Amino acid sequence: MIPKQNYYLNETRREFLKHTGAGIGALGLASAMNGNLFAAPGAGPLFPRKPHRPARAKNIIYIHLVGGPSHLELFDYKPELVRRNGEKCPDHMFKGKQLAFIREHPTLLGTRFKYHAHGQGGLKLSEHLPLMGTIADELAIVKTVRTEQFNHAPAQLFLHTGFERFGRPGIGSWVSYGLGTENRDLPSYVVLITGSVAGAGNSLWGSGFLPTLHQGVEFRSKGDPVLFLSNPKGIDPGSRRDIVDGINFLNKTALADVGDPEIATRIAQYELAYRMQSSVPELMEIRNERTATLEAYGAKPGATSLANNCLLARRLVEKGVRFVQLFDQGWDHHSGLFGSIPNKARQLDRPVAALIADLRERGLLDETLIVIGAEFGRTPMLQGLSNNRAANNVGRDHHKEAYSMVFAGGGIRGGVSHGATDELGYAAVEDPVHIHDINATILHQLGLDHERLTFKYQGRQFRLTDVHGEIVHGILS
Amino acid sequence: MGLKIFHIHFRLGLLLGFLQVAGPLAADASDGHWAYERPVRPELPRLAKRESQGSPVDHFIQDRLAKAGLEYSRLAKPERQLRRLYLDLVGRPPQPGEGLPFLANPSSREYERLVDLLLASPQYGEKWARRWLDLARYADSNGFQADQLRDSWAYRDWVIEAFNSGMPFDQFAIEQLAGDLLPGATLTQKIATGFHRTPTCNVEAGVHPESNRVNQVIDRVNTTGTVFLGTTLECAQCHDHKYDPISMKEYYELFAFFNNTPLEVKNTSGVTWDFYGPKMDLPLSRAKAASRAKLADEMKAREDEKKSIQRSLAVELKEWEAIVIEQLKTAPQWTALEIEKFEATGGASHTIKDDLSVLVHGKNPDKSTYTARVKPEGVQRISAIRLETLLDDSMKKRGPGRNFDVPENPNFVLNEFSLKVNGEKIAFSRATASFSQAKYDVAGAIDGKAKTAWAVNPQFGRPHEAVFLLKNELSVKEVSLLEFQLVQHHGGGRTIGRLRLSVVDGDPAKLSLPSDVQTILLAEKRTNEQTKRLAGYYASQHPRLKELDQRLVKLKSERNAIRPDSTLVMNEMGGARETRVMLRGDYLNTGEAVSSGTPAVLHSFDDRLPGNRLGLAKWLVAPENPLMSRVAVNRWWASFMGQGIVSTQEDFGTQGEAPTHPGLLDWLAVELVESGWSMKHIHKLIVMSHAYRQSSIVSSGHLEKDPANKLYARAPRVRMSAEMIRDSALATSGLLEGRMFGPPIYPPQPDGIWRHVGRNAPKFVPATNENRFRRGVYVVWRRGAPYASFVNFDAPDRGACVVDRPRTNTPLQALTLLNDHAYVEMALAFANRIVSEPGLATDEQRIRFAFRVALSREAKPVEVGYLKSLLAKRDAELANAPKTAEALVGEARGMAFTKAATKCLAKWFTVANILLNLDEAIVKG
Repeated sequence: MIPKQNYYLNETRREFLKHTGAGIGALGLASAMNGNLFAAPGAGPLFPRKPHRPARAKNIIYIHLVGGPSHLELFDYKPELVRRNGEKCPDHMFKGKQLAFIREHPTLLGTRFKYHAHGQGGLKLSEHLPLMGTIADELAIVKTVRTEQFNHAPAQLFLHTGFERFGRPGIGSWVSYGLGTENRDLPSYVVLITGSVAGAGNSLWGSGFLPTLHQGVEFRSKGDPVLFLSNPKGIDPGSRRDIVDGINFLNKTALADVGDPEIATRIAQYELAYRMQSSVPELMEIRNERTATLEAYGAKPGATSLANNCLLARRLVEKGVRFVQLFDQGWDHHSGLFGSIPNKARQLDRPVAALIADLRERGLLDETLIVIGAEFGRTPMLQGLSNNRAANNVGRDHHKEAYSMVFAGGGIRGGVSHGATDELGYAAVEDPVHIHDINATILHQLGLDHERLTFKYQGRQFRLTDVHGEIVHGILS
Repeated sequence: MGLKIFHIHFRLGLLLGFLQVAGPLAADASDGHWAYERPVRPELPRLAKRESQGSPVDHFIQDRLAKAGLEYSRLAKPERQLRRLYLDLVGRPPQPGEGLPFLANPSSREYERLVDLLLASPQYGEKWARRWLDLARYADSNGFQADQLRDSWAYRDWVIEAFNSGMPFDQFAIEQLAGDLLPGATLTQKIATGFHRTPTCNVEAGVHPESNRVNQVIDRVNTTGTVFLGTTLECAQCHDHKYDPISMKEYYELFAFFNNTPLEVKNTSGVTWDFYGPKMDLPLSRAKAASRAKLADEMKAREDEKKSIQRSLAVELKEWEAIVIEQLKTAPQWTALEIEKFEATGGASHTIKDDLSVLVHGKNPDKSTYTARVKPEGVQRISAIRLETLLDDSMKKRGPGRNFDVPENPNFVLNEFSLKVNGEKIAFSRATASFSQAKYDVAGAIDGKAKTAWAVNPQFGRPHEAVFLLKNELSVKEVSLLEFQLVQHHGGGRTIGRLRLSVVDGDPAKLSLPSDVQTILLAEKRTNEQTKRLAGYYASQHPRLKELDQRLVKLKSERNAIRPDSTLVMNEMGGARETRVMLRGDYLNTGEAVSSGTPAVLHSFDDRLPGNRLGLAKWLVAPENPLMSRVAVNRWWASFMGQGIVSTQEDFGTQGEAPTHPGLLDWLAVELVESGWSMKHIHKLIVMSHAYRQSSIVSSGHLEKDPANKLYARAPRVRMSAEMIRDSALATSGLLEGRMFGPPIYPPQPDGIWRHVGRNAPKFVPATNENRFRRGVYVVWRRGAPYASFVNFDAPDRGACVVDRPRTNTPLQALTLLNDHAYVEMALAFANRIVSEPGLATDEQRIRFAFRVALSREAKPVEVGYLKSLLAKRDAELANAPKTAEALVGEARGMAFTKAATKCLAKWFTVANILLNLDEAIVKG
């Protein structure tokens, strides 16, 4: 390296350190600070930062079941609802309420599934989650999550950004902004998707007003794992190396002439891009996992499945990716509830059980927080036209008053059920938990104080939790 | 003690003061804040040294520099200045042959000529529209679930044209905020109001239309504050804040200006909601207008023919009447049947009326089958059955269908009509009807097929009848029970509301006259209406007229299918909505009523202005407004110089940054207003300055004394926007298509980016024509999944107003420029341009040409040397690998190369790909 260039690279680092020293809130103000993605050791907005408090978890795997699964078929057993199946629902559950699809006074719908108690904690789970039962003592189920939105896209935005409209960063971006990343070769925030994209679209992992390098990067299961990763036909890795060398040679010449530290950053980014061309496909290739591991997850090389994504999530946190966000589409059961749930539950049960066991075996469970959530739950009331519909085709409508989310791993007390809904599973009667509380708790486990993780934008300090958020201590160890 | 109580009261009073919706307090919070004082033009600072700089701007900059012990850099090289100007004013690099007079004679005079030339280019508007469209959160889709497309590109075109035509900036603001309210508003002034029809809109099932509307109004208020006042109003939406100069009450007073708009989602059927709200047709395109004119000509010819036939009809009618009346007198009469038992499945009720009709009422089930049992009396023989569908006030438009699904279309759908006599099914030979809906002919009701049916859309609000002829006449002597069944299982409650069944004995041919025509013919005196009806009926039976009518219907539907393009516009409803303060920002929880008004901290609202959007717009552009002109010049400055004079471009409030050059900011703001709000004038002032024209080389002294370049001792180096990067690469490759305006374009992007599902989910089909290579400002903007390569270069989703995009530097950007198929194509086209350029003999000459095209400068020897040896290496590799070259060149779609050129292109691709990826190629420096 020529001495002059070395000087500028050092300058870049000094620059960044100067500004990061001024506090992370200053990051968004000057474009100079936006430089540098995952490269440049020791510098940049993605350089690992000290948390506000000792972290209970370093990384997070967040599984969003898109559409809103029925907590009543999976996690929250309500015998009274089963007993009163077919009765008109009490007035307070219908009169004056806004519902997405139900228009006429509906009847109550009890689950047709059995529940079994598991582990030392005696956690009750649906018969369709038998394998999660085997790791039940790692799970904490919050049964009283409340949201404010009952349509998919606004509720999804609300869950991730704490705000029902566009424009705010999601929790993954907040975490990336607050903690940076420990792997300088990979993004801090990776998104994996099964099924079609959630209603609110890419904005769910967009960075809102935070610098865009905190946005989630989707690793895709079809086509290039990262957009534009593979070379065009006729350009092999050797030719690509030549081209990158050429670019960097000319950029170094420019750096020597012009002296702009941004050029040094760009040189580093081309090197990283070249490395990613082999490291990302390698990471996404699960063929060389042990057969026993593949079987435990139910993962198949080349497939697009929640099982594959759970396995990839483990590989990503192993490499130090801070925030791994999974989306799994297909939980919006307005009809065919009892036919679909066993199938979807099977797709969830095995990989999640395997993921938790696998992380535990590798000693990673303590430092990885696992969250299984959704934008809302389902009504205890039946949805479906009463005439001309087969009885097995019934479903449930969107429900915001109370539903369940599951936590495991880093700093979570296992075998715990937190909060309680009423006997019909409609609303919380004990320990209600708001989405803002969930988000405050997730940040807390990662060592971030949700009241101090702020970003100044348009003259105001913004927070993920707005002016709310109470930590749910009941599920913490 | 007494003192203590006083103290507590005093504290409490203060506290209450904060909580109240209080104006005076707000004024305290901002007392004397510079941005709320009207700007006054300052004296130009005197410069110590005599400088011959180009613009008054330099006085302020140099004054500051001198105080910091810094100096301007020397002028950038002419080719740098040329490139910078092209990038800043028209958004693409200059091409060989452009700017030659200036390069030959780089004087200030030639420079100014060049500036004038570029300010007059139509590409100026295309370049500058991008920033404004970020502010206006312009997109081509609704956002949210399904994220369907919407048409408002005419607004985008309006912005481009407004910039090109030099529309004064105050007028630009007025037309966008309230063009529809201007006296005698023109088409383009209405199009301009698309500015505030850009907010997102959720059309998911179960959405609450009012909540959608309130969200949109909130967005309009907040965006207006950010765009025109550089002020965040949003904070005052839910609470009063101690440091906020704008109170919650004042927020809702601004809200009131925008509160008079209609709902924008509509329940179109069942739980289906659609994006609605006011839109306006645009004038027809030339091609559409031509086909419309052709259809109109044919319609005219047919109408003429029809009229001439009709003229001769009057005589024929008289003759026909005489014969038919005679026939009718001897014709058999319909006998209405007295229904003994009527049943409707699905829970509807019914009443049998005096006229023997059955009125179905009460619950309107999704589907219903009617059964009517009759014991016929007083009839000897039956040759035909008549089913009348009658009107009743209980139905929308009085019927004849019930149809809850689409209430404005009271249709029924009769799938099957059948008759059993003594339990045995009777066959019909033929069915006729007073009217049958297209594809729902009455024959479908007796064909035994469950799917086909009789329906009457769009002839609502009038009775209809169907006559079913029996295959064999029925002698009633043997009949004890007639059982009619009417199957209506189409769904959506499309069932008959009131019906009557009649039978007739006699020649069915005589019955082909509709019953009302028979009545008219037999009446002693006819009303005018009856005479008209009779003539109409007769005409409708004329074979040639029938033919003509059918043709006319077809022509008319073809003509109606030629729809003009439309665009979303603002519209004021008659009668004002009441505006109330929304407690905690919740529209279901309101407080005191407020009327429209502007914040006390700013200049006062002239009483003579109307209390609507037009008044608000005029208040904004009033010369007393301390913010609007400052905010505008600051944004332009930032665009040219890399950062704002106020670095928090979106916040001029007490929490924002102080200006680096307050005098310059005010001088430019006053200059803007006094120049008649001329944006081009301010742009020219900036680009004429030495501050702008100087070199961007960073010295160690710069890094020491002013690392962030806040004082401008050097010109900025700024990475270009996503659109500019693409436009520049297209220009370099020679692919850039200049066609302006029109619907959004779909250049290539990887598969699987548009993955939304749901109703009307649009598909991304990459263009294979010129639209593949047009400028970025025209690329379709889908909020849930914006154009992939733009996202990697920091383009927002346009779900909300964005003042300034971040400028990151990431490996994903490297991958985009290296491998995005769009950029691979551009590199191949650039390679082709390099090898096809006439007059170049050697690799070195070609490399030099490529540098001039891509970077607007001469290549340095070290650069030429490096690339020459790389080319030699590549040449050797390709010599033994013809397939490799073919594969690479095969990546180009949307263009064709000669086979002979394949190897050469693959070789030069290396250089093209390198040059398009250079920092210098994507940075304005």
